[in-house]
Amino acid sequence: MEQISQQAIVKDIPRLGLMDRIDIMKNKRGFPLVFPLSMLALLAVIFHILTGGEFLTLNVLKGVFNQSLIVGTMAIAVSFIYTTGNIDFSVGNVMGLAAVFGVMAYQVTENMAIMILVTFLSGMALMMCNCALGVIFHIKSARVAVVAMSVYSAFTVFLVGAEPLKVDYKICKVLEGNFRYIAFILYFAGCILMYHKTAIGRKLRFIGGNAVCAKQTGINENESIVTAFIFAGIGVGLAGVLQILRTGSIAQGVGTGMGMDVMLATVLGGMSIFGGAKSNAYAGFIGAVTVTVLNRGLLMLGVSSTLIQGARAIIFLLLVFMNSERQSTLPSRQQF
Amino acid sequence: MSAKGEVLVEVRDMCKNFGVTVALNHVSMLIKRGEVRGLIGENGSGKSTVTTIIAGIQQASSGDMIYRGKPWKPQTSLEAAREGIGIIVQEMGTIPSITVAENIFLGDYSRFLNGPLINRRKMNAEAAAALEKIGVTDIDPSDITAKYNMEQRKLIEIAKVMAHDPEMFIVDETTTALSEKGREILYHLMHQAAADNKAVVFISHDLEEIMEHSDTLTVLRDGNIIDNIDKKDFEPNMIKQKMIGREITGNYYRVDTDGYGDEVVLKADCITTMQDLLCFNLELHKGEILGIGGLSECGMHTLGRALYGLEDIVDGKVELYGGKVTVTTPESAFKNGMGYVSKNRDTESLVMNAPIGANISSTGYKKNRGWGIFISDKKERRYEQLQVDSLAIKCTNVFQPVRALSGGNKQKVVFGKWLAADSDILILDCPTRGVDIGVKASMYQLIYDMKKKGKSIILISEELPELCGMSDRLLIMKDGEVTGEFFRSDGFDNNQLIDCMI
Repeated sequence: MEQISQQAIVKDIPRLGLMDRIDIMKNKRGFPLVFPLSMLALLAVIFHILTGGEFLTLNVLKGVFNQSLIVGTMAIAVSFIYTTGNIDFSVGNVMGLAAVFGVMAYQVTENMAIMILVTFLSGMALMMCNCALGVIFHIKSARVAVVAMSVYSAFTVFLVGAEPLKVDYKICKVLEGNFRYIAFILYFAGCILMYHKTAIGRKLRFIGGNAVCAKQTGINENESIVTAFIFAGIGVGLAGVLQILRTGSIAQGVGTGMGMDVMLATVLGGMSIFGGAKSNAYAGFIGAVTVTVLNRGLLMLGVSSTLIQGARAIIFLLLVFMNSERQSTLPSRQQF
Repeated sequence: MSAKGEVLVEVRDMCKNFGVTVALNHVSMLIKRGEVRGLIGENGSGKSTVTTIIAGIQQASSGDMIYRGKPWKPQTSLEAAREGIGIIVQEMGTIPSITVAENIFLGDYSRFLNGPLINRRKMNAEAAAALEKIGVTDIDPSDITAKYNMEQRKLIEIAKVMAHDPEMFIVDETTTALSEKGREILYHLMHQAAADNKAVVFISHDLEEIMEHSDTLTVLRDGNIIDNIDKKDFEPNMIKQKMIGREITGNYYRVDTDGYGDEVVLKADCITTMQDLLCFNLELHKGEILGIGGLSECGMHTLGRALYGLEDIVDGKVELYGGKVTVTTPESAFKNGMGYVSKNRDTESLVMNAPIGANISSTGYKKNRGWGIFISDKKERRYEQLQVDSLAIKCTNVFQPVRALSGGNKQKVVFGKWLAADSDILILDCPTRGVDIGVKASMYQLIYDMKKKGKSIILISEELPELCGMSDRLLIMKDGEVTGEFFRSDGFDNNQLIDCMI
């Protein structure tokens, strides 16, 4: 009998298939950062070759960064919410309405600091409204977002009217350069630190992964979700400020559809919009840059904007499919 | 008519790996008609893997199967069921949000089509017949499945498998979810199938049970078949040795009669919950292992949840450390040094897609702080690795997702999480459910070590030997009330305990 045991054990270990190797790679610690960054670099190199060496130039790259800034900031902001498994696609409209309040404050006071402060606070207050509906009344965040989109959009149209609201463009020009970059870098660095180096991000990921388990581990779900919305509010407020500074005016369609752009950026950056263990705070920004690279590159190649929309839709669908978590082991592994 | 002893399923040189984890390593086995084949082995030895491949739930990485003399490679469990191979899985095998009848005939609704519509009356009638066939008459097929408790859902699953009148059926670690009555139903079905020249594969961690009900035992270890043993050669210590690869003595419970302290660390003061408990009192002392036993529905699981703040307490209160703290939420319980291991490991105690390390360190965010509110990666890694090493969790590293681990190793992660937290009061609800004897032995040792360190433990279990083996004091519950209190120092009498339960 002992011989049988020995014979059984000395047999070869089965060879790993391609899918096994992919699975191992996906579980590596640095994968969520390295993979989307590699894809972004690859895309840039491909466009550089296809455009005959015109893509990887300082001007184009600066343009890409500037264009990514607003969506990227909002994507970083909502990553806190997405991580918990909640979805809020009203952020574009929140940003728009916050910018409207900011510009209106400027028109009354002609003070840029007050405008920035009002935009910030409005962004945060509106996000906290969304949060309160979810946390206090237990309404699903996606439903809140649908209602919020319509309400905030209606308010924006009502307040702006037919003519765009304007601020002094000269002052915008002054603030457009370094202020924007410094504000963004501070926010980005702050989010990365708070998300990845404190308990905040860990708790959010735990809630997104299994809310019941998080509760039993002493994590207060409501408290964490409020924290997530506060961080999101700061980011959306900042995006509102960046939006004003970019054009010096706010039209009634501001922010419309941007919620979807943010979602696309998040997914392109390699994060699941279903949240959970593999979420992070940087995916959204990488994704936003990737979307801009894609748009800019295709435009430089002469592809029509309609086709670009179609290409984006296909990539989005593909990535959502790839990102959705499926069991690689037993489908019945969920315990009762 | 097929002959007894004729080979029904042959597995040849089968391999299966999940990433780098080798689940099956060139496994070959024969399953014959007219026998109950027991499969035994540690968690992660490959028992469920081989049977789920036979039943079409997943596919092998390599190797062949022959069923009824023909090549067999089912792509889905439905295909296998239609061809006569059914499986009752280890965990939840029913969908809670659909009716009992819809669960029983899941994927097979076309047989009830009346034009474009499903004839529900016919479906319900046939489902009732399927339930009656296995001796269950108190489940209404038209009810939503979620209405029924775990055991009843397991019986629905058994009815679902038996409705297809399988040539072979696999019982994968099912009996832990069943009461004595449910087990009797299952044993009867197994032996009846064998008598009818069908084949049964029976997986269980309960050595006594598997020895009693199997004709042949196949022992697996680390994805390898170690031995096939005929009933006449069954001998518990020899089987254990083959399973674990080392000698395990018969008794792995504590043998001491050390007492416990006088200090009351937890007190349930006349607590009443929305269900099960009415003015329930309990005291837990420092360094005590308090066992709580009873039949599955006696209220002991609700009690565990209520003590940890997971159930709404409508009257009374749970106090810690002589009334200094009142537990109202799991958060307050956790902050005051309590820990809770749920009986529903996969759905409540772990984040399956999260790495092992993240699960363990979820109890140590404060402890692992470096500067200010910032967590020190170094401290956190040490916190995680210490548990992985001391509990000998089989994994490639702490970044591996928990979902890839076997049941026993998952349970070790849960234990590791609370051990690392150094909780003073631990509520363990069926902590050894679905784990093999090797893991069980190490968990009992851990529980005992915690007691010796002055920790207080509430051990809720449906297994009497475990309760008797580990408890200082034992409360037996029935209908939400304590019907008996027993002390280790007096010795536990099984008959007395059972009398209090029923």
